[in-house]
Amino acid sequence: MFRHPRCPRICAFALLFLPLSFTPALAHCFVGARFFPATLAIDDPCVADELSLPTVQWSKTGDVPPATEWDISAEISKRITADLGLSIGDTWSQIRAPGGPTAAGFSDLETTLQYQLLKDSPHEMAMLLGLIADWGGTGASNSGIGTPYSTLTPTYYFGKGFGDLPDEAGWLRAFAVTGQIGYQIPTRSYDVAQSAYIPQVLVYGASLQYSMPYLKSEIQDLQLPDFINHLIPIVEAQLATPAANNLGNSPVTTGTINPGAIWVGSYFQVGLEAVVPVNHASGTGVGFLGQLHLYLDDMFPTTIGQPLLGPSTPLQKPSF
Amino acid sequence: MRTLLIIVSLLFVALGAGAARAHAFLDHAAPLVGSTMAAAPHEVALWFTQNLEPAFSSVEVTDGSGARVDTGKAAISANTMRIGLKTVGAGTYRVRWHALSVDTHTTEGSFTFHVGGQ
Repeated sequence: MFRHPRCPRICAFALLFLPLSFTPALAHCFVGARFFPATLAIDDPCVADELSLPTVQWSKTGDVPPATEWDISAEISKRITADLGLSIGDTWSQIRAPGGPTAAGFSDLETTLQYQLLKDSPHEMAMLLGLIADWGGTGASNSGIGTPYSTLTPTYYFGKGFGDLPDEAGWLRAFAVTGQIGYQIPTRSYDVAQSAYIPQVLVYGASLQYSMPYLKSEIQDLQLPDFINHLIPIVEAQLATPAANNLGNSPVTTGTINPGAIWVGSYFQVGLEAVVPVNHASGTGVGFLGQLHLYLDDMFPTTIGQPLLGPSTPLQKPSF
Repeated sequence: MRTLLIIVSLLFVALGAGAARAHAFLDHAAPLVGSTMAAAPHEVALWFTQNLEPAFSSVEVTDGSGARVDTGKAAISANTMRIGLKTVGAGTYRVRWHALSVDTHTTEGSFTFHVGGQ
């Protein structure tokens, strides 16, 4: 959400519309025959040209009594080169406590620089390195939604499809897993206003997904309804565990397990997941998470769907 | 917020105008992916979700030992690939394809079909 237009944000978006050369494209997360969809709670293991707009989450906090929280976020991802990408995102949140005040505002601006380490087509495997920067002071820190300090989170991402299992594995070959693990380091160790230490946190997550498109095109065409053939049922988990500098704070791991499904089209995908807290510190009851995600490389293949610098992929004649 | 709404609206207008094209997914095939046939087919046909660039798209069919059993060059037109088959007996055959859609997105895949009730 770009509530406060600033030159860097506008300039970054304007750059996307620069006319670019005509080069072959692979873009969003294709690795061989496997397509990894953009997951809702964690990130997929590829750099890409894509736009998540909006992502909407409703949940209840772990407070007693619980407050109701809405989060509406947007994120745009753009490849700088074929293997280097940058994402910019922000979230507007509203937290309404029963009988209490309502806090609302933007969280801190988040940027992610990512480098594609590996795309191994035969093994349907992808690896990515990223640095997530949460820019302190850019959000509503006076209402507790943003923070006055920044955080940096070096993160490793991976994805693995099981299509390289023997044919005898049958329908199991449509499964895939993705995951990420990062270490969040705040730029301050102590919050004077809150009189509390600011912990370093291990943040990690994973997804288990079953690709109906893969089942239809690679394993067996069961001639199911078209809507079913575009679905990827998925379970995501996202967790955070304080790892250091946590004196006086709760040491409890927090997070959610999110079962749901993603419908994948040619130009966009729609995802919907339930949000199930792993413990009371993570929330109360079951919430939901929904996302509309646009494939910019498919929508605008010769302009903003191309990397800003250099070709997307070399144009090669197939070997057979 | 208003800026974002305008941007999203422009994106959907672009889609509605038909300016966008996408990756060529395999929509369906004959023989069907993973199917079992009593008699061998004379050709394999693949239909994709996008039109293809013939010069950069291809298909091959191999038997269980990896030997090619297709007749050579595929006929590629619009969103369809077709390739003839030699006379083959019972067994499992693998179809490997590589597609470049007209907007230069590349995709690839493979599947098997069976002849003779295996």
